[in-house]
Amino acid sequence: MRFKRAEGGKVFAVEISACDGKTLRASIDGEEITGEIETTADGGAILRFDGRRIRINGARGRKSILVAAGPASFEFAPVEGRVGGAHHGLAAVEIAAPMPGKVLRVMVAEGDVVAAGQGLVVLEAMKMETTIAAESDATVRKIRVSAGAAVEHGQVLIEFSPAPANPSTGESQAQAR
Amino acid sequence: MKPRKIRKLLVANRGEIALRVMRTARALGIATVAVYSDADRAAAHVGAAGEAIAIGPSEPAQSYLNIAAIIAAARAAGADAIHPGYGFLSERPEFARTAAENDLLFIGPPPEVMAALGDKVAARRIAVKAGAPVVPGVETGDLASARKFAERAGFPILVKAAAGGGGRGMRVVAEAGALEAALEAASREAQAAFGDGRVFLEKYLARPRHVEIQLVADRHGEVVALGERDCSIQRRHQKIIEESPAPGFSSATRARMVEAALNLARAAGYQNAGTAEFLLDGEEFYFLEVNARLQVEHPVTELRFGCDLVAEQLRIAEGERVRAPDAPRGAALECRINAEDPEYDFRPATGRVIGLTLPSGPGVRVDTHLEPGAEISPFYDSLAAKLVAYGADREAARTRMIAALDEFALLGPRTNAALLRDIIASEAFARADLSTRFLEEHLPRWRPDEHIMRAALIAAALAADGRIGSVAGGGFAGANGAKANSRPSPWTALAGFEAWGRR
Repeated sequence: MRFKRAEGGKVFAVEISACDGKTLRASIDGEEITGEIETTADGGAILRFDGRRIRINGARGRKSILVAAGPASFEFAPVEGRVGGAHHGLAAVEIAAPMPGKVLRVMVAEGDVVAAGQGLVVLEAMKMETTIAAESDATVRKIRVSAGAAVEHGQVLIEFSPAPANPSTGESQAQAR
Repeated sequence: MKPRKIRKLLVANRGEIALRVMRTARALGIATVAVYSDADRAAAHVGAAGEAIAIGPSEPAQSYLNIAAIIAAARAAGADAIHPGYGFLSERPEFARTAAENDLLFIGPPPEVMAALGDKVAARRIAVKAGAPVVPGVETGDLASARKFAERAGFPILVKAAAGGGGRGMRVVAEAGALEAALEAASREAQAAFGDGRVFLEKYLARPRHVEIQLVADRHGEVVALGERDCSIQRRHQKIIEESPAPGFSSATRARMVEAALNLARAAGYQNAGTAEFLLDGEEFYFLEVNARLQVEHPVTELRFGCDLVAEQLRIAEGERVRAPDAPRGAALECRINAEDPEYDFRPATGRVIGLTLPSGPGVRVDTHLEPGAEISPFYDSLAAKLVAYGADREAARTRMIAALDEFALLGPRTNAALLRDIIASEAFARADLSTRFLEEHLPRWRPDEHIMRAALIAAALAADGRIGSVAGGGFAGANGAKANSRPSPWTALAGFEAWGRR
């Protein structure tokens, strides 16, 4: 099973090979983990591995899986097998609003080559300005929002095509500076 | 205004602070009135109040910032006093003034004092007159004088909103080229947040601590200080961890800071609870601002002094005199758990709380409005819960806080809880190497540790298979037949998420 983190889009391959009685065997990106599991009354479980104990729980949504692990919370999206392969872990082909809010500014234009970390769109939510930045080098193919627009959580802001594979990408310019 | 007893208190706020204020009112036998926006129909503070009145749409400007609607609600409910909490209208002089005009006791300082202190530029002048040191700065935001000041003082420069607070309308400018854009951005953010785009400039201190003095003043001219709080651990200029006492604070410096705060309060004619904030740089300190209201982090002081600051606020508003505080004991620490993503520039996280486990036990206090089914909406700020730990000394409070954070779990929007745990457990925090730059110095580009990451991925795989997950009985999603004002049941809370039992 492959999971993509909702934030950042990194893809992990996770297999549960045994989960019976108290024994848990799993592999994450090929690395074997052996531990113990005990279910809890709230539907979650206690995991013990690597000499540590941690409480987990999860909820399966229509498009994503919410997880609590210790004090941390995460959102994962299951990735179908065919989406993986050569492409997985590479640039996201689009960037979506991480929360509902208002578009204050669009900082790029269609056709722009952007570098990982470069600001794309400034959103206002919860009274704060948040800059949505490129997760990898790419070329802006289509801008789907404009300043002043209200956006929903998950609404696509910008579509990309992969960055041209030559030394004039934004990142190498930044390094050359 | 003549002394009078409060019988019915309207709380003009939402979230944990509305609950906090109502708790004290209830304990004192004072009836409570909540106000709520459309988004908050089912919020915890609505259920906690004796009565609740709708004041408008979800947008704060049309509800929690709507003075006319709130005053009308107070009159309709027959309330005789208003507690503003923090944020929203708490530091708006016209709110305090309108309340008084409607014969409603406002729990806070008089409007003219609030007006003088709320303007950071005016507050700086009061501080100078009271003999409190201030950071070198210039009272203007226009580009030419900004450039001149920057040349004289040297970069970095801090741009701040005159009407500001909570880090909004604030920008650090590292070099001359960025000055114009920063002035514009700060002014725009200030205009949006406070309806006042004026900004001013200060020399940016490289590695200061943020230390503040809790003040309580009555209308007879008496002011007392309830010790200090160190609020140095911040992100985006907003506090996330606060503690009292301030570690390593010499008693001589403390005495000087307390004296400066008391003089300031007297010079301003301050009344009710307030906080004088300072930047501490070595043994030197500089006045920052006065927060003319109850602070988010007030529980830290309450645990050390064994007091109830809201009860004191109400007593003083009724016309009583301040009481000399008991001697403080032990140490207290507060962590602000925010709905935000600590891996991605602390961007706000929103959504429904599916599951929530809160810590408890000796020396642990949790102030939160969240419960399973509660919605963290994009309309309001991201504070989800305040965890407060008390101990005989800092180390005892610190280890208790680690245990408390390990007990905390939220299934739903992302929070900064795992980051807070790593800060509190860090060697740098343990030896109190505190400054407002703590995060960038000690935990830059923070990521959850490998163990948590692996556990989370295993949890995702188990949840995808239905081997773990919130048990939702014979759950059915979205019981829309429920009346609009009712609170969500655990089953409707799971709307949008598939309910399944263990297989």
